[in-house]
Amino acid sequence: MPNQLAVDLSGVTKRFAGHTAVRELNLAIPTGSVYGLLGPNGAGKTTTIRMIMDIIAPDSGQIRLFGDARRGREMSHRIGYLPEERGLYRKMKVIDMLIFLAQIKAVDGRQAKRNAMRWLERLGLSDWVDKKIDDLSKGMQQKVQFISTLQHEPELVILDEPFAGLDPVNTQVMKDVVVDLRRRGTTTLFSTHIMEQAEKLCDSVCIIARGEKVVDGALSEVKREHGGDHVIVAVEKGVASIDGLLGDRSLVSRADSYGQYAELELAHGADAQRLLQLLVQSGAAVTRFEIAEPTLNKIFIDLVGPKAATAAADGKVDNA
Amino acid sequence: MRKIWVVIRREFVARVKTKWFVVSTVMGPVLMALMVLLPMFMATSGGGSRSVVVLDGTSTAFGDRLTGMLNESGPVAASRIVVDLAGLEARADSLAEVVGRKEIDGFLIVTDGTVEDGHAEYRGSNASSQVDIAILQRITREAVLTERLDQVGVDPRLVAQATIPLEMRTVTIRGGEATEQSGEATFFLAYFMWFLLYTAILMYGMQVLGAVVEEKTTRIVEVLVSSLRPFELLAGKILGVGTVGLFQLTIWAVTARLLLTQRQALAELFGIPQSGVAIQLPEIPIATIGVLLTYFVLGFFLYAGMFAAVAATASSDVEARQAQTPVMMLLVIPAIVSLMAMITEPDGSLFVALTLIPISSPIAMPGRWVVSDVPPTDLVVSVVLLVLGLVFVTWIAGRVYRVGILMYGKRPSPKEMWRWVRAG
Repeated sequence: MPNQLAVDLSGVTKRFAGHTAVRELNLAIPTGSVYGLLGPNGAGKTTTIRMIMDIIAPDSGQIRLFGDARRGREMSHRIGYLPEERGLYRKMKVIDMLIFLAQIKAVDGRQAKRNAMRWLERLGLSDWVDKKIDDLSKGMQQKVQFISTLQHEPELVILDEPFAGLDPVNTQVMKDVVVDLRRRGTTTLFSTHIMEQAEKLCDSVCIIARGEKVVDGALSEVKREHGGDHVIVAVEKGVASIDGLLGDRSLVSRADSYGQYAELELAHGADAQRLLQLLVQSGAAVTRFEIAEPTLNKIFIDLVGPKAATAAADGKVDNA
Repeated sequence: MRKIWVVIRREFVARVKTKWFVVSTVMGPVLMALMVLLPMFMATSGGGSRSVVVLDGTSTAFGDRLTGMLNESGPVAASRIVVDLAGLEARADSLAEVVGRKEIDGFLIVTDGTVEDGHAEYRGSNASSQVDIAILQRITREAVLTERLDQVGVDPRLVAQATIPLEMRTVTIRGGEATEQSGEATFFLAYFMWFLLYTAILMYGMQVLGAVVEEKTTRIVEVLVSSLRPFELLAGKILGVGTVGLFQLTIWAVTARLLLTQRQALAELFGIPQSGVAIQLPEIPIATIGVLLTYFVLGFFLYAGMFAAVAATASSDVEARQAQTPVMMLLVIPAIVSLMAMITEPDGSLFVALTLIPISSPIAMPGRWVVSDVPPTDLVVSVVLLVLGLVFVTWIAGRVYRVGILMYGKRPSPKEMWRWVRAG
């Protein structure tokens, strides 16, 4: 069934002692899609993922995986999970570690060894098979973690902040992995607060803030619905010289000025060509005029609000 | 079940491969061999003879008689120095220097008062050796008795007969039958059992604590509980560590039994001649090994659950060390009280109660099994209570563990932990 949902959450709520982490959340993740769960830090992303993984139980609501009402842990062999906080047994040999993690997903030992060896070779760790985890560099340990997530060829891969803490080489490896998963039709759910990555990789997204869904759907639809008409404009003497024009609310409903250029949102019914004409008539030397799709980052900030967005930006610094 | 088995196997292999395990497993029997061989060795060489001077301030032939009796006894080589009472202290001081030069072990001061009111004094480098002093005291007492009887004109033959020393042998009765085992040896074995269980339960309990904290601090626990139920992880871990403990304790117990039954052969192997002095060493019956291992397993499960639960509430090694204190108290205090009760009154109601209460029974009961005849009903009650106790503790521990392993930050208060338990 092509339109079957790999992950289906309906009305899921989770409360902790002081607060509600996730409230009445509905999620529909189509089989074979790359799905981004976006939100600022503390929005409830990790809690949602932990509930999908059956690590914690929701207080109310229903979670179905692969259209099956059985709990996530019973289907753990069909799922690959990379948590945000990652770890390995430091004293264990790389190969033993990988076999163990496959065996607790009920993969046969010999099969597990074959899979692990193939993946180690693929990520260039063949020489480290019998080394202890402790002897590996942090980057190599991250690769071992990717392998442990993917080695049993799961149908659903769940990555919680997969890019957090990665070095540039592994960031590329991780991107390649996600692209490869999409090519093979594996459903991939990943959470992030870095919008640029989600924009590059996702088919569909869900933005959550303070435990509640703000918007979800295919990326293109989200952009169309929430983007409006955007124009990026730059003039020779700097954006300040055309402040008067940008302040005209019948033309421009919002202007984010960055000094050298400004990102404008056109007022309802306003025409971009008319704006260009007026700019030229005003005598400004236009160096850039681009009708742009809004960035996911912009939609995110517009929808979630500046306060949450600041939190997200802080998070970006933390994880950079 | 298959997943628990995978966890048990990993835990077992990871631990058995450590240097610590290999060293301690080998060192245990080596230490035990030394404990068996050393007394034998001491009894035959070096320790056999003590050179003692009798500082004779008497006006009778008592000093001469005593010196003769000491020399006849075997382990003492005695010589005599005669002094008058006025010069006695000065002579004693100069002899102290001789002892200091290790030319003699010590000197025995006797005067007429020794025979009249029973006062003698021994000064020597071995004055704290119970064995040496016991020998000196026994022979001196015999000499005094003989001298007194002699002085009142009793027939020397009668005296010889009257002073035949009494040797009381103590024999332990087990299952209504006398054994070949002395009371002292029995106590030694009971103490050994107490010590072994106390250290093993503590040591392996701490390993569970360390393992849980390691999984938390390395954050691997999150990956594990996405594939395993927390209880499967906890059970696999405790069973895995417990199997390592059982394995090590079995090796130790079996080698201890072999060392004791084969000690003659062992002595020959090391070229230690058989001496006439019988060394009191216990035998370890198979049933005793069975009791030891059973109580280790049950006791370990009881405390491992608690250690795992408190470890789950900690986010770092330092926090874990703080968190473990109540559990340590719960283990150490009953163990010490049990030992006291076992020493003072092994048949007393306090010790019997301690062998039945789950918190102390794992450490107390095997000791009681060795020192006295345990009625089968007591053994059954003790085991049943212990099993009920550990099921209860594991049930609570499992609930605290399940919530705790995913919590970071501030350590929960007892009230919060109680909420976790009730939350189910």
